[in-house]
Amino acid sequence: MARDPLRTKLCDMLGIEFPIVSFTHCKDVAVAVINAGGFAVLGEAMHTPDEISADIKWIRDRVDGKPFGIDLVLPASVPPTGALDELMTEIPDTHREFARQIKEKYDVPDPKGPVALHQWGGLNQEMARAQLEVLLEERVPVIASGLGSPVFILEAAHERGIKVFGLVGKTRQAKRQVEGGVDAIIAQGYDAAGHTGAMGTFSIVPEVVSIAGDTPIIAAGGVTTGRHLAAALCLGAAGVWTGTLWLASRESDVDMIVKEKLLAATAEDTSYSNCISGMTMRTLKCPWTEEWSKPEAPAVLPAPYQMLLSSDYIQGANDHRREDLMTEAAGQGVGFVTTMKPARQIVFDLIDEALTALEELTGEVE
Amino acid sequence: MSGAIPARTGFDPEIAGKRAECDGGGPIAGTRFAGRQEFTGTLTGEFVDHGDPPWRWYLMVDLTQKPEGYTADAVWCECGNLFIQEDGSS
Repeated sequence: MARDPLRTKLCDMLGIEFPIVSFTHCKDVAVAVINAGGFAVLGEAMHTPDEISADIKWIRDRVDGKPFGIDLVLPASVPPTGALDELMTEIPDTHREFARQIKEKYDVPDPKGPVALHQWGGLNQEMARAQLEVLLEERVPVIASGLGSPVFILEAAHERGIKVFGLVGKTRQAKRQVEGGVDAIIAQGYDAAGHTGAMGTFSIVPEVVSIAGDTPIIAAGGVTTGRHLAAALCLGAAGVWTGTLWLASRESDVDMIVKEKLLAATAEDTSYSNCISGMTMRTLKCPWTEEWSKPEAPAVLPAPYQMLLSSDYIQGANDHRREDLMTEAAGQGVGFVTTMKPARQIVFDLIDEALTALEELTGEVE
Repeated sequence: MSGAIPARTGFDPEIAGKRAECDGGGPIAGTRFAGRQEFTGTLTGEFVDHGDPPWRWYLMVDLTQKPEGYTADAVWCECGNLFIQEDGSS
């Protein structure tokens, strides 16, 4: 009898039915995916320790003991100084004027309230450590680090029965983390939403697999169909990490206007730019990204200055729900996200498509 | 760096003066996203261990590669994201 090709070592490690990891900021999506047999990692980077604790309880109450993960953004570098008020005064007049011209050209409304900027800067480590303490205390099944290396918390996590995943954009980062003993690596390609490395998914996944030994590798970046899942398994991955796929799901708390934009978007509607934050990330194109890509635009400022500059546009667009201005992080696989479906249905569709794709290749899959 | 976390400063002569690359980045203020930033520079050997278990950060100066517009000439890099160059010396 043929082996179930979708039963991978990631499934065995986590005790899940399908090798599908949903990365989401929405608790309802997470619970729906978990209860459909997949695995979900809830992005909590911007939440306070109390909020994280409450969210963990909320999920636990709804998944009947099934495992789940919490993702934090561990900083990997921090500048030597930086107080928000001081930084605001350091933005050059040329850049303020360019932002003002965009605001005027597109009639960008003022935010309804003070711009909700959180001061990370020198507080990066303090915030992250407080968040990590909650995850250790709560003994969440999986801690995932969306950026920096999580190796320093491995011993404390493993003592509590917690598994630790690290997301990487380069093979050398994966090698360092595998040597450090992480339980799984998410190899994220350039196709992904948000912060990505420079390597494409099709290149980084097999390269990381080749150095990872028995550590499960989870493929990320542009994964939105069962064919992507099948391809990832053929590349040696033990599962897929998916984000964009869930943004327009029925349970998702993303604004309906943005959901409709996502459903209509193709890969060419995404932009890989540093003009929103000063750090490169992939988002849906919007007037802000388009204007900053023009030759006459001033050079993008480094983080956090550029975010201080763009925050008025972003929040004004969101507060007034201006379809023509709003944006969202989205990967290049967004073109396959065309229907608003329940998360459970998305899981099952991925599995059906993957099995079909593998059957077409081998003719042996049951 | 933040002074609110219990921290221990130190100096590692083994790495002082070595060239290194930092696969850096961090959370983006005001969003739920993060961004990547890459640096190349020289390690001073100074480090800070934050909290328990210790979370080690090294100081890198004389940056020859840094994000466009990055005005400072120094950066603190987390040790797990730091890669000392093969030849090792500046």
